[in-house]
Amino acid sequence: MFGAAAGPLGINFYVWSGWGVIVILTILSILATRNMKLIPSGFQNVVELLIEGLYGLLEGMLDEERIKKYFPLLCTFFLYILVSNYFGLLPFVGYTPESPEKGVGLGIFIPPTANLSVTAALAIIVFFSTHFFGVATSGLKYFKHLFTPMWWMFPLNVVEEIVRPVSLAMRLYGNIFGHELVVGTLFVMVPMLVPVPINLLGTLTGAIQAFVFTLLTTLYIAGATEKHGH
Amino acid sequence: MKFDLATFAWQIVNFLVLLAILNKLLYKPMLNMLAERKRTIKDSLEKAEAARAEADKLQSQYQAQLLQAKREAQEIIEKATKMGEDMKEDIVKNAKNEADKAIKKAQDEISREKNQAVAALREEVATLAVLAAGKVVGKAITVQDHEQMVKEFIAEAGDLKC
Repeated sequence: MFGAAAGPLGINFYVWSGWGVIVILTILSILATRNMKLIPSGFQNVVELLIEGLYGLLEGMLDEERIKKYFPLLCTFFLYILVSNYFGLLPFVGYTPESPEKGVGLGIFIPPTANLSVTAALAIIVFFSTHFFGVATSGLKYFKHLFTPMWWMFPLNVVEEIVRPVSLAMRLYGNIFGHELVVGTLFVMVPMLVPVPINLLGTLTGAIQAFVFTLLTTLYIAGATEKHGH
Repeated sequence: MKFDLATFAWQIVNFLVLLAILNKLLYKPMLNMLAERKRTIKDSLEKAEAARAEADKLQSQYQAQLLQAKREAQEIIEKATKMGEDMKEDIVKNAKNEADKAIKKAQDEISREKNQAVAALREEVATLAVLAAGKVVGKAITVQDHEQMVKEFIAEAGDLKC
């Protein structure tokens, strides 16, 4: 009954799984920031540790000024991808092995990041925001970097700019989709205990992929918004 | 895996909505809180540093005051001791003077009394001698004679040692 068959406006289970992730993150945010105290405790402490850690790490790659501007975007990438990936660990979330492309049967929800359209959407946001920030920082001079180190490198530079988002999307999609597929297949063959190690691996993969995506995005933005004369 | 444009478009919308929600609900309050905490800690550290410096200053001040007070106390004690010594000497000297004076006065008195007594004795002896002589001579000697004789006698006996 639940499937990839698109509902009105093309809403399929990748889309409402994305909504599920948004709802989870919203509830967690409210829990973390409700009744915030100067001296943190409990859940506020955990979330602060995460946010502050990521902030400090990215601050090292950007700088004190730029991190303030770009942190919300970068942190949203990280949290969205992380929670999406971990979403697949919940019961009733994942592919049905019979037809992994359709996700019928058990799959009410699915990690949104296991879909190329979803990761492509994330990557295209990276692509446009990187160049937007670049132009906002240096104006039209920003496009000069396409002609470095020699003007005839231009085609290669353009290819590189296009490859970046493609590799971001492919990497994330491949990792998560592959994980879900393996878990689903194993689940059909031996439902008890055997998928557990793969799921353990999934917790690692999920965090690493979210981290890699965020770090690469930060690198791209850092390169694009670098002031001349640095 | 087919590329699905609807999923793609929805995902962009989803992400932007999530960005807005998290920015409002999570990043702003949390980063503000972190900044505020940083500021509070910095303020507290500065305040503590200032308080410590103040305490150090006060301590050295008190130490200086204590030292001063000790020195003053020492001075006062020394002064008092000296004054006591001086007073003692004065008193002793005065007492000695008084005693000397008293002794001298007493000696003067004694010698004066003695002289008086000697003089009185001489007069008495002369009178007696004249009376006796009168008895022997058998006639009364007049007052003028008598005084004349006494004076002569004393003048003669003036050189005698008593």
